[in-house]
Amino acid sequence: MNNDYQNPQNDMELDAMRQQMNTLKKKLDQQQIVNDHIIRQSMRKTAKSIKTRYYAIMALSLLMIPYTYVIFIERLGISLAFWIGTSVFMLVCCGATYYNSLNVNIPNAMGRNLIEVSNRMARAKKFDANWLFFGIPAVIVWLGWLTWEFYQLDAEMTRYMVYGIVCGAVFGSIAGFRMHNKTQEQYQEIIDAIEEITAEEDA
Amino acid sequence: MNALEKQFAQTVAEHKSTIYTVCYMFSQDADEVNDLFQEVLVNLWKGFESFEHRSDIKTWIYRVALNTCISIDRKKRRQATARLTMDINLFEDRDEDTRQVDMLHKRISKLQPFDRAIVLLWLENLSYEEIGQIVGISTKNVSVRLFRIREQLKSIKD
Repeated sequence: MNNDYQNPQNDMELDAMRQQMNTLKKKLDQQQIVNDHIIRQSMRKTAKSIKTRYYAIMALSLLMIPYTYVIFIERLGISLAFWIGTSVFMLVCCGATYYNSLNVNIPNAMGRNLIEVSNRMARAKKFDANWLFFGIPAVIVWLGWLTWEFYQLDAEMTRYMVYGIVCGAVFGSIAGFRMHNKTQEQYQEIIDAIEEITAEEDA
Repeated sequence: MNALEKQFAQTVAEHKSTIYTVCYMFSQDADEVNDLFQEVLVNLWKGFESFEHRSDIKTWIYRVALNTCISIDRKKRRQATARLTMDINLFEDRDEDTRQVDMLHKRISKLQPFDRAIVLLWLENLSYEEIGQIVGISTKNVSVRLFRIREQLKSIKD
């Protein structure tokens, strides 16, 4: 091996460069070659589907604010406090969805480190799962409040209204849980794809 | 996968760090390094069957990688169609090791492509003879050039 032209040991600058080169080699030796394109393409497709769903939820949450005003206040005469409560709940839903969409919406996802993408997906999946701890109790409180509001308006009719509320809650829950499960599966799909490749390369 | 493909995959896996280092030193961003890496692999594959082992495989890989990177650098990038790469982003990671590597990259990037190739090989501890064989100049010429590059590098601030 070389090098006899100068003594690099005595040359701090060049010695530092050698060390930096060794650091680079060490980092690269720990890496594996991956078929980046295929993983990223499938990942981008799945992430796009989650993003689209999140945008739909955000749009729906915001649209519910004027819609519930027309229905609850103008047509049914329910209290303004209930509409404000509903609106706050919708805004929280929209804000939380937007916050989580930031994990999925990675600028230049195709050029990023897969491990970083995987971490983001795991974070988003966890947030999405944890949302139920707030979402389910909040919906139960909201439905209870709605029933009470109907009771205030017309005690006789409340019984029939409750049937409607229960039906709506059942169908809404089924749809909501299906959507939630699909999102969770898609997050897992992305995480698994990355892990699979890493495991293959490690084997 | 046939025997030749298996042999190629093994060779690439063994020398991936060498190939990636060359590509990284001739790139300005993560996309470019991935494009170069892909292009080098394509060129290595094209020449792999006809490689006659008259020189060391590592020397041959360096030659192909440097020729590819220098010629692409001159033509200013050609988009690769498929992507095989390493799952690392040396341009965006922020840890201490990457910062050190970035300092080296910035320094080497200021050199002309040919000088960049020589200093890269020198930093890889290759002998003057090996450097000369790879870049196609005499041992004496390597020594002279390295002296100039060294002076130039010392004057470059991080």
